[in-house]
Amino acid sequence: MRKLFQGSLIIFLSGLVLIFLSCTPLSCIGETESYVKASLYDKVLKKLHSPDSLTMYGLNMETSKLYDKTLNVQPAHIPLNASATYCTYIIRIDGLTDTLKFWYNSYPHLISKECGYTYYHTLDSLTFTNHLIDTVLIRNKRVTTINEENIRIFY
Amino acid sequence: MKRISAYSISLLLILISNFKQVKAQDTIVFPLKIKVGFEVSGPAIYYSDKKNLNSEGYISADFNEKVSIVIGGGYLNYNYSQYNYQYLNKGVFARAGADFNLLKPEKALGKYWAGIGLRYSVSHFSSEVPSFQKDNYWGTATSSVVQKTDWGHFLEVSPGVRAEVFRNFSIGWTISLRMLLYSSTGNDLRPIYFPGFGKGADKFNSGISYFIVWNIPYKKIKVIIEKEVPEEPEDTSQPGNIQQTNVNRP
Repeated sequence: MRKLFQGSLIIFLSGLVLIFLSCTPLSCIGETESYVKASLYDKVLKKLHSPDSLTMYGLNMETSKLYDKTLNVQPAHIPLNASATYCTYIIRIDGLTDTLKFWYNSYPHLISKECGYTYYHTLDSLTFTNHLIDTVLIRNKRVTTINEENIRIFY
Repeated sequence: MKRISAYSISLLLILISNFKQVKAQDTIVFPLKIKVGFEVSGPAIYYSDKKNLNSEGYISADFNEKVSIVIGGGYLNYNYSQYNYQYLNKGVFARAGADFNLLKPEKALGKYWAGIGLRYSVSHFSSEVPSFQKDNYWGTATSSVVQKTDWGHFLEVSPGVRAEVFRNFSIGWTISLRMLLYSSTGNDLRPIYFPGFGKGADKFNSGISYFIVWNIPYKKIKVIIEKEVPEEPEDTSQPGNIQQTNVNRP
């Protein structure tokens, strides 16, 4: 009887230890934002080339700049507006200004229980002005939290 | 000739009696049982937080002293919310598999179980995200995901222990290590939590279950136990010692 009690006690206590181990809350770790990852290329050499100065902001959002005369940006991380199917950015490279307009679809994606949901996007197309930018190529239409190149901007 | 026959019969009788004696010493009576188990931590947590109800149970039948066939099932009503989203999941699951007792029959005696269980499980559930919001450069985007019904299939390995604390009543716990085989939810809207599996964002998952089990004996079998034969001590004596031993003999 004593042996039985000891055995049951060990089972009960070991179970309690497991309860405490299993109830540890976790925090949100990792990237939660989806960005268009834009690599900047020299249009002549066709090689990666970081601008001396990059300024970038959304149309009508000049007071809230994404990049403000930032040096050596490579790649540029460009967030899309999940509440719309397109958004426009003003992009100024080495003093010359262009506009870049993205057309896309957005859909929700679960990151984790701790982090919740974010939006992923599928790029449909993009248009741009040619003051400095020569070409823009879409390399990967899926815009996610993963660090993968989406577009190449040749200037 | 008569003497040889008498000698042979005597020898045979001695051998038979010895054989019977060995068999009697090497068998035990082992009760096979039908077990009905209820998981207790799920209802206990629900009683305290009144939020998430996870209830499950199983029925198993001992196939022999080592193996039990198990079927089980349960129900989940899960509700989770944090600052940026709310999530609901409700559904049922079923499990089938076997339990393997790693204790020797003479230790287990139909009362103790320490072993491993293998299960194949199927879950059917409906989930919904009534609201979620995401902040970024452009402001706050708010949306929802409408209710949809999905399936999940997974394998489970569950080591654990159980001990009979009262006549025909056991308690015990199992650690469940689960591997998701298939989920109809797709990659983007994986379930936060779904019945039987737990956190659906991961392919591998684990959990702990605490059971109260009602044991119903239905049959007794004789189990031959392997007696441990004590090993003969190695002969470490040297040739010189043998000589000495021989010298000491009368």
